[in-house]
Amino acid sequence: MINDKNSQKIVDFIQNWARKHSIWVLAYGTGCGAIEIPPTMTSRYDAERLGVRGAATPRQADVLLITGYLTTKTLKRVIRVYEQMQDPKYVIGFGSCTINGGMYYDSYNTIKVLDKYLPVDVYINGCMPRPEAVLSGFAKLQELIAQGKANGAQKYKDNLDWYRENQKKIIPNWVMPEYNW
Amino acid sequence: MKKYLILQKNIQDKMREKATTLYLGPQHPGITGNMMVRLKVEGDTIVKATTEVGYLHRAFEKLQEKRNWLQSFTLLCRFCVPEPDPVEESYARAVELLEGREVPERAKYIRVLMLELARLGSYMLWYGGQNGSLGLYTMGQWSVGDRNYILDLFEELTGGRIYHMYIWPGGVRRDFPEGFEDKVLRTMDYLEKRVKDYDDLMFDNAIFQKRTQGVGIIPKEKAVEWGVVGPVLRGCGIRSDIRIDDPYEVYDKLDFEVPTAEGGDIWARALVRRQEVRQSIKIIRQVIEKIPSGDYYNPIPNPQKWTLPKGDAYARTEAVRGEVGIFIASDGGTKPRRVHFRGAAYVHGITLLENLLVGENVADVSAIMNSLGTCPPEIER
Amino acid sequence: MDELKTKIIERIKANFQDATENNSFNYNRLDFNVNKTTVPSILFYLKDEMGFKHLSHITCVDWLEEGELELIFIVWSPVDKIKVFVRTRLDRENPVMDNIDMIWRQAHTYEREFREMFGIQFTGLEAPQDFLLEDWDGPPPMRRDFHTEEYASETFFERPGREDAGDVREEIIKRSGEEIPDFAKKYSR
Repeated sequence: MINDKNSQKIVDFIQNWARKHSIWVLAYGTGCGAIEIPPTMTSRYDAERLGVRGAATPRQADVLLITGYLTTKTLKRVIRVYEQMQDPKYVIGFGSCTINGGMYYDSYNTIKVLDKYLPVDVYINGCMPRPEAVLSGFAKLQELIAQGKANGAQKYKDNLDWYRENQKKIIPNWVMPEYNW
Repeated sequence: MKKYLILQKNIQDKMREKATTLYLGPQHPGITGNMMVRLKVEGDTIVKATTEVGYLHRAFEKLQEKRNWLQSFTLLCRFCVPEPDPVEESYARAVELLEGREVPERAKYIRVLMLELARLGSYMLWYGGQNGSLGLYTMGQWSVGDRNYILDLFEELTGGRIYHMYIWPGGVRRDFPEGFEDKVLRTMDYLEKRVKDYDDLMFDNAIFQKRTQGVGIIPKEKAVEWGVVGPVLRGCGIRSDIRIDDPYEVYDKLDFEVPTAEGGDIWARALVRRQEVRQSIKIIRQVIEKIPSGDYYNPIPNPQKWTLPKGDAYARTEAVRGEVGIFIASDGGTKPRRVHFRGAAYVHGITLLENLLVGENVADVSAIMNSLGTCPPEIER
Repeated sequence: MDELKTKIIERIKANFQDATENNSFNYNRLDFNVNKTTVPSILFYLKDEMGFKHLSHITCVDWLEEGELELIFIVWSPVDKIKVFVRTRLDRENPVMDNIDMIWRQAHTYEREFREMFGIQFTGLEAPQDFLLEDWDGPPPMRRDFHTEEYASETFFERPGREDAGDVREEIIKRSGEEIPDFAKKYSR
C-alpha cells in the first residue's frame, strides 16, 4: 500500500508536519552568537511556541546551530557532532562569519565559508542577528521542512567525498571514525 | 555460567584502576563559551582537573595589528560577549593615556553609565547561569527576560543590543537621545523591584544554600597572590576594587560602597554580587542626577592618518568578572604594534580553576566555573 | 606619589645595579629596564619585600626591525596603589627566558601562551606543547613576520564576490538585478 504514490505523499506530509513542529536545537554555542540564544529562548521572545527548544546531546537533537565563527579546532568537534546526529537533521548558519568570514576574514584560525564543510539549510545574516532574525530563520527552516526541501543531510551523504576532502584540507591530523552509511 | 564468571573476573581486573577520566565540554559546560575540563575522578570526587582551551581562538591581537587605531573597536567588543563595554573603555582610555587626549566631563559620566548598565546586564545573565548550573531554571527565565530591558536602553543609545562600539577615544559616539534619562530611571525602578523577587527565589532557596555554602573555597591569605580579582576576591573578605584603588573616569566623584563577604565559597561570591547589583543601580541614579551638560566628544583626526606617539600604555577596568586591562604598544604608526588583553578569566579559568576543583564533587564543577566568572572567549581571544 | 616613586627607585637601584628606571609618567606607573637574568630576582624582591603581591599582566612585544622580543611584567601593589613595569629584551633568533611560575603560578598560563605564540622557550616549564592551537605546524603566529591574511587566503575557501572590501550592495545588484532604494543610496560608499 505504501508503494502507492498518493499514500506516500500523505505519509510525507504527515512526517514533515510533525518534524516541523519539534525542532530541537543542540545546545552547542560555537561562537559569540550564542549570547542571543538565551533571550530567544526566554520570556520575551519565547521560541518554544514554535517548537524550538534545547537538547543536551547530539543524538536527540534535530538542528545544529552554528552560532558564529568556527575555529579549526572547533570545526573538528562540530563535524563529529554533526555525524553523530540522527536523521532528520538540519544545519543553520548563524551570523556573518559563517557566510563569508565576517570580520575574521583574515584570521589564520577561523574558516570563512561554512557550506564547504557542512551542508547548510538556512543562513541567518547579521552580526549579531537579533532574536527576531533568529526566529525568522527558524520559521524559514520550518517552511523548508514542510515543503520537503530541507535536505542538507541527503546532500551530505551523496557528496561525502567532496566534503571529506575539504574537511581534511583544514584538519591534517584526522583521527575521527569514518562513518559508513 | 562459565562465560559469565570470566566476564566478572575481567571486570574486576579492570576496576583495579579506580580513577576514571571524565570530559566536561567543549559542548557547553554551563558557562558562556566552549572550553573543556578533563576531570580525573575517584567515585565522584575529583582528584585532578586539566583545562583545555582554544576552541574560540580568533587571533584578535594579530588582527588588530592589521587594523588602524579606530578599526580595532569592532574586534574589541567581541573579547567577552556578555559584557563588552569595559574592554572598549579600557582600550579607549589606554589610547588617551598614550596620546594625552582630554575627555569632556559629560563623556566620562556617559561612560560610567554604560559601564554600570553593562555590569547590570552581565549580572542578570549571571543570575540565570549560576542557578541554571544548579538545576534551578526559573531564575534564568526571569533574569534573562529582564535583561532585555537593559538591552533596549543600549539599543536606543548606541544602535546595538549586544555590541555597542560606543565608547571612542576622546569621548563617546553620540549624546543621549531625547527622554533617555527618564527611561533609564524607569528601568532602574523596575529592576529594583525585581531584585527583591530574585532574592526570594534565589537566596531564600534551601537548595541554593545547601549547594553553594562551603563549596569551592578560596583561602583568604592566598587569594591576592593567586591572582584572584573582582567579586571573587571580595567574596574572600578582601576589599579590593579598581574603581576605588585605581580610580578611572569619574568613579572618585560618585558615592558607592564596595561590598564584601566572608567565606570565599560560592555563597559568599553570590552575596557580593547581590549587593553589587544594588550598588550599580545606585551609581546609575547618581550619574543621571549629576551629569553635566556640554560636549560629549573631543574629535580625533582622520582615523586613516591618525598616528599615536611611540610608547606604551596599560589601562585597567573593573568588570563583572574582575580586573580587565588592555596593554597597547605603538611604534608611532597608524596601526598598533601590539595590543594585549588581560582578562580576569585568564587566571580564574585556568590555574585557579584547576586547583580549586581538586577534592570537589563532580556535580559542583559547573557551579564553581560559573561563580568564578569563567569566560572562555576572554581566555582565548 | 612622587615621594613613593623615588623611594621605590632608590630601593630597587640599591639592590639591582643593572636596573634603569623611567619615571616620566604623571600617574601611578613606574618602569624599570633590566637584563633578562635579573628578572626572576627583581620580581621576587618586588613581591616579597615591597608588597607588589598582584601580578596584573605579562605581555610580549615583537620588535622585528631591532631583532628583539620585549617581555613586560606588570605588577600592582594593593597597599601603595602603584604599578611597576619590569621590562626586559630577548634575542629574537633564540629567545630563552627563565621560568617564573614558582613566583606567581598564574604566570604558567602566560608562559605557555608565549611559547606557542612567540616561540619563547622558558627553561623548566612543564606543560603540554599545545595551548590554543591544535596541529599547528607554521611559524609562531603572533610574530610579526607571519602574515595572517596570506595564510588565510591560501588555507580557507573564500566566498566569491567578497574578495575585496567593496560595497556589498553593488555585488547584490550584479547578481540579482535588485535596485538599491533611494534612502540607502546616500550611505553607499
